[in-house]
Amino acid sequence: MVGSPVLLIAIPLLAAFLIPLFGMVWKESVRIVPGLVLAYLTYLSASLYIEVINTDTIVEIIAGWRPPWGINLVFSPLTGFLTTIMTFMGFIVWLYSYRFKRNVEFEAAKKYFIFLMLLVAGSVGIVITGDIFNQFVFIEIVGISAYALTAFYTGRDSAEAAFKYLIMGSLSASALLIAIIIIYSQLGTLNMAEIAANIDNMNPYYRIIAMIFFIIGIGVEAEIFPLNGWAPDAYTEAPGPVGGAFSGIVAKAGIYAMVRMMFTLFDIAGPMKILIVIGLITLIVAETSALRQEKLKRMLAYSSIGQMGLVLVAFGMGTKAGVFAALFLMLNHAITKPMLFLSGSFLTFNTTEKYIKQITGMAKKMPVVSIIFVLGALAITGFPPFSGFWSKMAFLSAAADENLLFIMATILIISIFEVVYYFRVINRLFFFEYDDKISVEPHKPGFNGMIALFVLAFIVLMIGFYPSSVTGFIDLAADDLLNTHQYIDKVLQLGQTIIQ
Amino acid sequence: METILTIFIIFIAGATGTYFLGKLSGILRSVIFITTLLVTSWLFFTAVSPDVIIEFEIMGILMSWGLTPLAYVFAIIVFGLAIIIGIYAIKAMEGQRSLNFFFANFLLSVMAMFGILISNDLISFFIFWEIMSWSSYFMVVLNHKDVQRSGITYIIFCVIGAYAMMMAIMIIYSYSGSVMIGDFISNFHAFSLGMKWLLPILLLIGFASKAALMPLHVWAPGAYSNSPMSYTALFSGALSKMGVYGMVIVMIMIVQQIPDGYWIKEVIAWLGGITSAIGTLWAIKQDDAKRMLAYSSVAQLGYIIVGVAIGTPLAMMSGLFLAVMHGIFKSTLFMVVGAIERQTGTSNFTEVTGLIRKMPWTFLAALMSIIALAGIPPLGGFIGKWMLYESLMGSNHYLLIIVIFFSSTAAFLYCYKFLFGFFLGQEEKEWSHVKEAPAMMVVPMIIMAILTFVLGVFPGLILKPINDGMQFLGYVSTDNRFWEMSTIFNDWGNQVVMEPIVYTIFAIFLFFLIFLTLKGYKNTRYVTTKDISSSGEIPREDENLTFITGFMQPFFRAVAPVMKRQIDKYYTSFGKGLEALFDFTRRIYTGNGQTYALYFVIFVILLLMFRDSLF
Repeated sequence: MVGSPVLLIAIPLLAAFLIPLFGMVWKESVRIVPGLVLAYLTYLSASLYIEVINTDTIVEIIAGWRPPWGINLVFSPLTGFLTTIMTFMGFIVWLYSYRFKRNVEFEAAKKYFIFLMLLVAGSVGIVITGDIFNQFVFIEIVGISAYALTAFYTGRDSAEAAFKYLIMGSLSASALLIAIIIIYSQLGTLNMAEIAANIDNMNPYYRIIAMIFFIIGIGVEAEIFPLNGWAPDAYTEAPGPVGGAFSGIVAKAGIYAMVRMMFTLFDIAGPMKILIVIGLITLIVAETSALRQEKLKRMLAYSSIGQMGLVLVAFGMGTKAGVFAALFLMLNHAITKPMLFLSGSFLTFNTTEKYIKQITGMAKKMPVVSIIFVLGALAITGFPPFSGFWSKMAFLSAAADENLLFIMATILIISIFEVVYYFRVINRLFFFEYDDKISVEPHKPGFNGMIALFVLAFIVLMIGFYPSSVTGFIDLAADDLLNTHQYIDKVLQLGQTIIQ
Repeated sequence: METILTIFIIFIAGATGTYFLGKLSGILRSVIFITTLLVTSWLFFTAVSPDVIIEFEIMGILMSWGLTPLAYVFAIIVFGLAIIIGIYAIKAMEGQRSLNFFFANFLLSVMAMFGILISNDLISFFIFWEIMSWSSYFMVVLNHKDVQRSGITYIIFCVIGAYAMMMAIMIIYSYSGSVMIGDFISNFHAFSLGMKWLLPILLLIGFASKAALMPLHVWAPGAYSNSPMSYTALFSGALSKMGVYGMVIVMIMIVQQIPDGYWIKEVIAWLGGITSAIGTLWAIKQDDAKRMLAYSSVAQLGYIIVGVAIGTPLAMMSGLFLAVMHGIFKSTLFMVVGAIERQTGTSNFTEVTGLIRKMPWTFLAALMSIIALAGIPPLGGFIGKWMLYESLMGSNHYLLIIVIFFSSTAAFLYCYKFLFGFFLGQEEKEWSHVKEAPAMMVVPMIIMAILTFVLGVFPGLILKPINDGMQFLGYVSTDNRFWEMSTIFNDWGNQVVMEPIVYTIFAIFLFFLIFLTLKGYKNTRYVTTKDISSSGEIPREDENLTFITGFMQPFFRAVAPVMKRQIDKYYTSFGKGLEALFDFTRRIYTGNGQTYALYFVIFVILLLMFRDSLF
């Protein structure tokens, strides 16, 4: 074994606390240490993931307390898959913002990287923990660091955005706490596997109430419709790479928590009407709102919310094909949306308001970044031969399997709007004359930022031309999510073997 | 290695080379560009045989590539046009913007069309279809003209078509577990009745959107007239034929199998007829040659679709033959407009006149293609139209004949306008400096013009591949010579028999002469000088008094009721309405934290209320 899953949480947490100390010794270390940590985390997660695929799920026990009493971490094909994406995206975000923040003074950079570390630690924690209260704690960690990152620019607008996020976050936290209390009072345990094993003994009335509060509690991070009011503001006001981190890391963790709760905790088999309904509404509202946005990041934020809705619909089908499509969509979105955010924030670097019209004709000045933006737009709207096409295809095929023609038609119609607003931006970028009066001064992209973009673009093209390179992993992850009994057995048997 | 794969690799390498090496020197770019086209065509015509089938798997879906005889007919159009237009484009595009991108994208488009034609399964068909869509999209907006309007309209109709197709493909895949076109056709009877109707309609929406069939044609004028003319020639000549190719397969192989599928055929045929009539009317009204040709393209594709939809052997043959001919003459006309625009700087009839002495060769090419377009013997368009009428009569579509005949006759008006506006009329001082287009542009046009003549006299050259294609589609004929069904071919199908035509035309001419004379005696009104109303007015400076302005006004007064209802307007107002609605949904996100908290509470209450139905 290369290391233990617990390191995935412990190291970034530790690093977050040590960064100020390092900074006292050598100021530059504030920028470098997070990179080293995230690189190591990516390596660790990837190698653990490969090990898990080849052998068996790793269940890690914290502090010697056996499940179901203590906290345990589960590193399975599903959680490993997500953790690897998250740590990798964390690394990409660091790579992008390494020099990007050079013009920011030391204090600001220190805060930025501390909170980025906490964000990654919390998100990874949400995914690999096997205990609902522990998950609640991690959700809070993510929330707090996300509020801080939203307010990074310390202006009026960003403070307002962070405050909205804070309101929603705390409301949801209380809802989540209520759900946890209901479950604990009914079943007397907080361990996910134990809850899942005993969920049938629970009073069905309480069960539904608990589920509702769970959905509400997690829904804020997962950006579902009425609870995502914070998202457009937060994505817009936060620094560009943070938008990428929100869409690539935090939203994925939120979706995971919701899905794990539905599939494993409450062990619902078959189609989940609630997820489909919520997902569809989220998708429709977000994509139609995106059509009329004037700010680039805000448009991307709505698009991100819409994609999360699509993922939820796919999960809601509850079949193997649906889960496969959902995970594939998550993967593509986790790669493509940060790519759009990062390249978009290069394009709008010198603007304060980030209006779309301010990037008119920028392709003349920043051709490579613009091409990468277009690649991202084509990929996210599902044009072949780029990555998004295969996930969209997987989604439609899953829906067709279940005979959900209405949903297929709705999603395709909504996709038309998506195409329209992305192509409007592409037109502005490439097919308008550069105008000094409207357009901003181009910013010379940093070397590291370009590498980050190239890596993402390479992945988009690789998945696009050779989808089989990732579908095997997604397949295993989908199996893992659907096999609730295996999950319960793995965790609980471990507890029993230790007793003997 | 398989030839098909080699061709793809050459295309991709050529496109990359054109783009990156083109930055070094323009000559290198042109050389790579032309070499790519020549090598791929040479490989295609010599080494690709219908027997070789490549199979491979992506995401567990079996896909397959191979050439069918039907696709071969369309591949002739694609490769033939691509080479000739490619040579033309090198000179025509000189001095325009983003040349590297243009030539690379041109190759990508050709590759996508080739891909469509060799796809034996729906998924790779769709992939190439979409590559074709976005690469053509980038051409439409390349000139930075009317980008947000015509560009977005084009992409909307592209994706409407593509998504309809995608939905059908995914339903087919999940119901039958295979995406092979062959499997779909042979298993079609196993689908439920609802699916039997839904699937072909969805597929037809997809194909009709590219072929610019009536309710889905709105994108065509803008897209055709705004792309560089060197690309429009390919766009209208070859790219739109991909829609026809798809429609041929669906109409013959699928719709045939639907109980009462007869109705789909009738509807599509009528849509084609109406498209040709309306397209022709709008073409006559245009003052800009590009838009005129764009509408004319829409109209001509209407004929082709009528032929394909009727589906009798002769109708199919005429549809396919017209497809080839339209590819040739319409590309030539677009190239002519491109040449005129390059030499004079405008493509507006009301501005340019009397070019016949300045650009004689261009005029010759235009004349030949106009004659072919109008369907006058002995050029190619005539044979196609003749067969179309003959097949319509044979299948008792008399009303449709009237529609087609109307639009075909009305087409003379815009043909005349095109010739007269640009080439004839007074020579203005303004255009005395205009010179003939460079040889590299003239030669391709002349080659095409000669082709229209050759195919008009020896149609067998193209009828034989069409014949093979039709046998592949399942048509049966005793000795496999479908052209014998028409009265105008000899036994070998390579010569046109003119006697019946001459007699018929003479008879019709005589009939109309008598009719008009009789009618004219009654209604003629001789006017006096007093009736000329404008004589007393002094025209303002900005009034355009070219003879071509307001051409054919009486005609338009006659057809005004038809042209008043423009489908674009409905689409535009629908789009505006949607945008207004979305502007409203956008306001759901008020930006106020208290509202969001309220949403939170409402959401909790709603979930609690509807918990029984939602969980």
